[in-house]
Amino acid sequence: MNNFIGIVGTNSDNSTNRMLLQFIQKHFADKANIQLCEIKDLPAFNKPEDRKAPDKVQQLSDKITEADGVIISTPEYNHSVPAALKSTLEWLSYTNQPLIDKPVMITGASYGRLGSSRSQTHLRQMLDAPELKARIMPSSEFLLGFSLQAFDEEGNLKHQNKIEELEQIFDDFVQFVDITNQLVKTNHSPKKQTKSFSWEDN
Amino acid sequence: MKIVGIVGSNADFSYNRLLLKFIAKHFNQIVDVEVLDIQDIPLFNQSNDQTNSEPIQRLNRKIMGADGVIIATPEYNHTIPSALQSVLEWLSFKIHPLDGKPIMIVGASYDVQGSSRSQLHLRQVLDAPGVNAVVMPGNEFLLGEVHRAFDENDNLKDKETIQFLETCLKKFIRFINVVNVMDSPEGMKDLSSTEDLHATGKIETTIEDIDMLADDWVEQASDKTKAVEGDTYVKLDRGVLTVNQLNYFLKSMPAELTFADSNNQFLYYNYKYEDEDMLAARRPEQVGNPLANCHPERAFSSVAWVIQQLRNGKEDVVRTHVPTHGPDKFVVHSYQAVRDEDGNYVGINEYVKDIKPIIDWYLEQTGQQLTGGEVDAVSGATSKVDTVSGATVKDN
Repeated sequence: MNNFIGIVGTNSDNSTNRMLLQFIQKHFADKANIQLCEIKDLPAFNKPEDRKAPDKVQQLSDKITEADGVIISTPEYNHSVPAALKSTLEWLSYTNQPLIDKPVMITGASYGRLGSSRSQTHLRQMLDAPELKARIMPSSEFLLGFSLQAFDEEGNLKHQNKIEELEQIFDDFVQFVDITNQLVKTNHSPKKQTKSFSWEDN
Repeated sequence: MKIVGIVGSNADFSYNRLLLKFIAKHFNQIVDVEVLDIQDIPLFNQSNDQTNSEPIQRLNRKIMGADGVIIATPEYNHTIPSALQSVLEWLSFKIHPLDGKPIMIVGASYDVQGSSRSQLHLRQVLDAPGVNAVVMPGNEFLLGEVHRAFDENDNLKDKETIQFLETCLKKFIRFINVVNVMDSPEGMKDLSSTEDLHATGKIETTIEDIDMLADDWVEQASDKTKAVEGDTYVKLDRGVLTVNQLNYFLKSMPAELTFADSNNQFLYYNYKYEDEDMLAARRPEQVGNPLANCHPERAFSSVAWVIQQLRNGKEDVVRTHVPTHGPDKFVVHSYQAVRDEDGNYVGINEYVKDIKPIIDWYLEQTGQQLTGGEVDAVSGATSKVDTVSGATVKDN
C-alpha cells in the first residue's frame, strides 16, 4: 500500500480543507496510508542567506521525501493560494527541493460557490516552477464549494455524488503515483544546482 | 502627487527595492514616491488577527494617505512571494485600504522573464473583491536579468528602459486622475482630473527632452530651438519688430502677463519686476514648469475649472478679484483664452492688474463717485430692471 501525506494548505485553526483531508484519510484508509501534515507552525519564509531549512521545514521536507505521493488541499484567498502555503513552498524550493518529481494531487475547499478554482490553477502553475517541479496529476480537479455545509457531524461528506467524484480522482491518483514513480526511477530529474537557482536576489 | 511604493519582497537585498528607490530618486520632479518595506509585517493568520499591530496600521495609514500605489514584485515559483501575498491578505481581512486605490505594477527578476508570471498573478489578486484595487491596464514594466541592469550608483543603465519607465509613470499619473473621477460621488467631482496640469502630454510646439523643471529651462529651450533674440527681426501679424522691441513692448503692457500653452506648460511672462514686487509672484526659473508646479495642490481643482471653461469655448475670459492685497488695491486676475485663426484653444493669457488707479482717474475725470453697497444704489439698479421689464412687456 502506498504512503501518502496530505498537506493542509492553511495556518488557520478552523479549516474545511483540514476536514476534507481528514475525510480522505479516513475514507481511503483501505487504499493508502495517509498522514496529515500541518503548516501552521512553520516560520514565515525570509530567504536566509545560508539556505538552511528550519527544523519544522526539515521535518516536513523529510516526510515528503519519504512519501510516495502528496495531496495538497488549498483554500483560496484573494483569488490565489494563501500566503502560508506559498511560504511553505518557498521554503521547500529554496532548501531541499523535496517536491521534485513527487506525484501531487490537488484538492481545495471554499466557503463560496467556486470551491477554490482560481487558487488551484495558481497552485498548479507554482508546482510547475523549476525549483518545485512536482509531477502534478493532470486533468483532475476536485473543487468543494459551500464547504461549511458540506460535512455532517461525523466529518463525512454529505453528498454521495461528491464522494463518488472524489473516489474516482483518488483511484486515478493511486495509479498515477505508481506510473509516475516508475517513470522517474528510470528517468530521474537531477536536482537543480544551487547556483542556478532562478530567483536569486529578486 | 503622493505615491507609496511597496517592495514586494522581505529579503535583505532585493532588486525590486532598488528599482523602487530608483523610481523615487529619478522621477522626484514628477511625483513624490515613498518606498515602504514589508519586512516587519507578520505572516497572515486568520486565527491570530494582528490587524491592529503597528506595522500593519502604519502601512494602512500610508496607503490611505497616498494618491496611488506602485507595487514592485519579484517572482518566486511562478507567483508573487508569500511575504507580499501575506500583506495583501492583511489588507483585505479587517481593513481595506486598497479599495478603489490606483495601482501600478512593476517587477524585476534575475531571469529573462522579468516577473511576467507573478505580475499576472498579482493583477488577479488585486482584483479580488476583498482587495478591490484599480490596477492600471497595460504598461507592463518587466525588468529581466536585473543583476546587469543597474550601475554602481544604483541607477538603471539602459536609456530606453528609463524612458519606457517614465512613459509608464506619466500614464499612471493620468490613470490616477481617471480613477478619481470614477470614484468621486456625483456632484462632488474634483475637477483637477479634467486637466493634465502635470503637462505629461505634448503638443506640436512642445520643446521635448528638456526637463520642464530645470531652472535654466529658457536657456536650454532656446539653445535647442535656436531661438532668435536681440536685434533679429520677427514678422508679426501685422508688423515687423525686433525681438528686443517685442520684449519692450510686452513689458510696457500695464499688467503682469503670463502665457501657458494648451499642454498646460508655463512658457512666458513679461519679466519686469522681481517676485516680491509682483501682484502674482513669478520667478524667472519657473518658466517651463507644468502648471501643477506653479500652484498649490489645493488650487488644482479651480485651475482646472478655469482652463476647462476656456478650452471648451464656454468662456473667452474668466475673471477673479483677489481682495488679499488690501483696500487700496483692486486686483483683478483675468484668464483670457488664446485661440488660433480657426478658434482652436492654444493657451491661456493670464493678465493681472490693479484696476484702482484707472477707476480713480476715470471717476475724477467724469466727476462721478463709487457708491459702494448703499441701499440707494441697489434701488437704482432695481428701477433699471423695471425699465427693462417694461420694454419686454412692450415687445409682447
